[in-house]
Amino acid sequence: MKLDKCLKIALNMVMHSPLRSWLTIVGIVIGVASVIAIVSLGNGLQNQVNSQLSSLNANLVTLSPGFERGQGGGFGRFGGGPGGFGGAASTAVATLGKNDVRALQSISEISLINTQISGRTNVSFGGESGNLQVSGVDPKTWSQITSSKVGQGRFLEPSDKGVVVIGYSLASGFFKSPITLGKDISIEGKSFKVIGITSDTGRFDRSITMPIDDAYGVLGSTKTRDDYDNIQVVLKDGTDIDAAVAKITAVLMSSRNVKTQDFTVSSTKDLQQSVSSVTSSLTLFLTAIAAVSLLVGAVGIANSMFTSVLEKTKEIGIMKAVGAKNRDIMTIFLFNAGLIGLVGGLLGVVLGTIASSFISSLLTGSGISLPGIGGRGGGSVTLVSVDILIGVLAISVFVGLLSGVIPAYQASKLKPVDALRYE
Amino acid sequence: MEKTHPTDKPIVVLKDVWKTYSMGEVKVHALKNVSLEIRHGDFVAIVGPSGSGKSTMMNLVGCLDTPTKGTVFLESRDITKMSESDLASLRGKTIGFIFQQYNLIQNMSAFENVLLPLELQEFDDYSAEKRAAELLKLVGLGDRMGSRPTQLSGGQQQRVSIARSLAANPEVVLADEPTGALDSVTGREVLETLHRLWKTEGKTIILVTHDMNLARYAQRFIELKDGEVVRVEKNRDVQKVDYRLPEKQQGIG
Repeated sequence: MKLDKCLKIALNMVMHSPLRSWLTIVGIVIGVASVIAIVSLGNGLQNQVNSQLSSLNANLVTLSPGFERGQGGGFGRFGGGPGGFGGAASTAVATLGKNDVRALQSISEISLINTQISGRTNVSFGGESGNLQVSGVDPKTWSQITSSKVGQGRFLEPSDKGVVVIGYSLASGFFKSPITLGKDISIEGKSFKVIGITSDTGRFDRSITMPIDDAYGVLGSTKTRDDYDNIQVVLKDGTDIDAAVAKITAVLMSSRNVKTQDFTVSSTKDLQQSVSSVTSSLTLFLTAIAAVSLLVGAVGIANSMFTSVLEKTKEIGIMKAVGAKNRDIMTIFLFNAGLIGLVGGLLGVVLGTIASSFISSLLTGSGISLPGIGGRGGGSVTLVSVDILIGVLAISVFVGLLSGVIPAYQASKLKPVDALRYE
Repeated sequence: MEKTHPTDKPIVVLKDVWKTYSMGEVKVHALKNVSLEIRHGDFVAIVGPSGSGKSTMMNLVGCLDTPTKGTVFLESRDITKMSESDLASLRGKTIGFIFQQYNLIQNMSAFENVLLPLELQEFDDYSAEKRAAELLKLVGLGDRMGSRPTQLSGGQQQRVSIARSLAANPEVVLADEPTGALDSVTGREVLETLHRLWKTEGKTIILVTHDMNLARYAQRFIELKDGEVVRVEKNRDVQKVDYRLPEKQQGIG
């Protein structure tokens, strides 16, 4: 029998058991839609993280005390510290200090060096107070290294003392009354004048940045003067980053006179790679969970096909009596299952796309702002791409066919005489 | 137009055929060492009371089943040695079935039911559709082509099934109690149609029935009892059939 005729009969079968067909299709729709929603969410997340990472200076290399295999921890150490967490989390006893800065100054590939400390402390404004992250930076270089942009006022200058630059989110939303330029905020009882506010990038930014000398004053209980939580260096344009990282490591090893490395050197490039591997494995993990529902849908197709084979046993016998070959019967039932996969897949693609834009508007609209996700003006949180839609649709048809294989084989193997006798 | 009956060439041959069903420990011999030969152009009635092995015989003659022992030849080919797909194809080309319960596919229209064997034999669309329409007109259902079996009377359904049995222009028409579910007038019409197919089209007709009145139309009886052939006999008094039929029913095949 020609394939188009098999398809016609399969279509006829689907159309004539509408309730069962639709219920089976719903199973696939849910599976496909959840896979698409999750994958698009994952892709959106990856996209946002990547776009934020790409705003970082590619020539930036960060040194932190203690040797951590793999990558050097918290986001906050990069991009000039705003919103950071991590900081001096290392358990190592080793510290970074002035000698290390001096050693770094001898390396010709380095153009800028910023020393940095950070910690949480008590901040009050207008009668309210909160525990916030405060970073102390080198006012001479920080403004050239940070990825933040000035929204209002200015960034730190070499002669600054007793002043802070704060994040947009802190300025506009943390305390009841917004903090504006020129106002004083109190940190650990000391008064600091706000000279700059970062621009609203859609990112969550409650950073407080001040000259490092002032920071030792407010974070004094936990920090030793002239010890740094990390040192950021910017390499000259066109430098081979991996070679420079190796050189920095070698120079510091010899200047610190240690045999085993007790500090970590990580470049933005390393960070980008590791973050994107984290987000892709996260996406993969979530997709695997969503795929479970697609699997359940597949079991639904198989179940429905077995029922259909039972129900159609007599018709299979009739078709065989009038000349249908095993192969014809097999093809008809496979087409039947494939059609369910196809229709389920198509509807799932539509529903998944709608769900994904719904999730996106839910996350951005309700002001849920996780670091890296959503936030005002952050654009779409989800990303539906055509290849995902086509891919998932193909998978859905394939899954349909696959779950139809055993029932179709069973149907094709029925002996005409037995099938005809079936009531 | 009339053809010589029968020719000497056998079309279906059963040789020393046994069919045994196992029911738990008990083995039931539905057919015991049966041999018979049906030739081109025969009109044979296979008769016998219920439980005599008629249905088993019909399944074997129709190549829907294979024997436990012995051989069945269809067009000189041993069906026990044929692949499933070759047998299906040969069966589809050679034998048209008419069943007691019509066995039409419920979700297909009369037209689609008649079209099915043609599609299975991969006729081209144009000639298949033309032939299916012609056959339905021939059995007087030209105006009911789009009707589903549930919208047709028993007699009409049986006519669709006759049209379907003739679709692929088979050599043999195998009718299993074709009038069993019909009233006597409609039943007689069906029998007369079969008779005409034999007489004017030269089809080989195999009629399986328990009713000796129907068997009178046949040219030969094969009587079964307890799984054995007890009588093979020429019918000396073939039922006379009046061929002055309406114009539209002339020339089936």
